[in-house]
Amino acid sequence: MKTRMKELRARYNFTQEDLAKKIGVRRETILFIEKGAYNPSIKLAHDIAKALQTTIDELFIFED
Amino acid sequence: MKDKIGIILGLLATILVILTIAVYIMNAGTIELTESATLAIVIILILAASYIIWDRAKNIRKGLSAKDERLININYKAGYYGFIAALFSPLVGQFIADIILGRELTGSQVTAITVIVSGLVFVVSYLYLARKGN
Repeated sequence: MKTRMKELRARYNFTQEDLAKKIGVRRETILFIEKGAYNPSIKLAHDIAKALQTTIDELFIFED
Repeated sequence: MKDKIGIILGLLATILVILTIAVYIMNAGTIELTESATLAIVIILILAASYIIWDRAKNIRKGLSAKDERLININYKAGYYGFIAALFSPLVGQFIADIILGRELTGSQVTAITVIVSGLVFVVSYLYLARKGN
C-alpha cells in the first residue's frame, strides 16, 4: 500500500511530530506508515485523513 | 495519566529487580559459569526494559502518545512469541541438558529457563518489531 501522506503533510506544513500529536500516535508510527512498513487500522487511517483534510481514498493507494 | 502510572510502575519493577540482583551478587560469594550466564541474560532484560521505559517517557515529555495501536499490536505479537518460547523452552532446555551435561534439570532450573528464555524472546521480538515497523 502506497500513501500520499508525505505530500499532503507538506501541503499543511506539518512535521511528522505535529501530525503525530494531532492524532495521538507516536512519531515513528507516522514514519512507518509513510514508508509503507505499517498498515494503519481503519480508525487511524480515518484520523489521519481527517487531520490532513482529505479522504482515505485519496490518502492511500491500494495496489492489487 | 495512565501512561505515567505505567512508567512509574515499570521503573519501580526495574529498580526492585536491580536491587534483588545486587543483593544476590553480594551474598553469592563465587558465581559459577551457568549462574553468570543467567545473570547476563537478566541484565540484558533489565537494560531492554529500561530502554522501553525511557522511550515511552521521552514520548510523553514531547507531548506524544506513549503507546499507540502499532505498539499495542507489537506487544501482542511479541507476547505470542514469548508464549511459544515459554512452551518449548522446558522441552528444548531439558533435551540440551541431557545431551551436553548428561543429566536432568531440576524443577527450579526448568522454571528459571522458562522465565528467562520467554522474557528474552519477548524483549528481542518487541525491539525488532518496533524497529521494523510492524
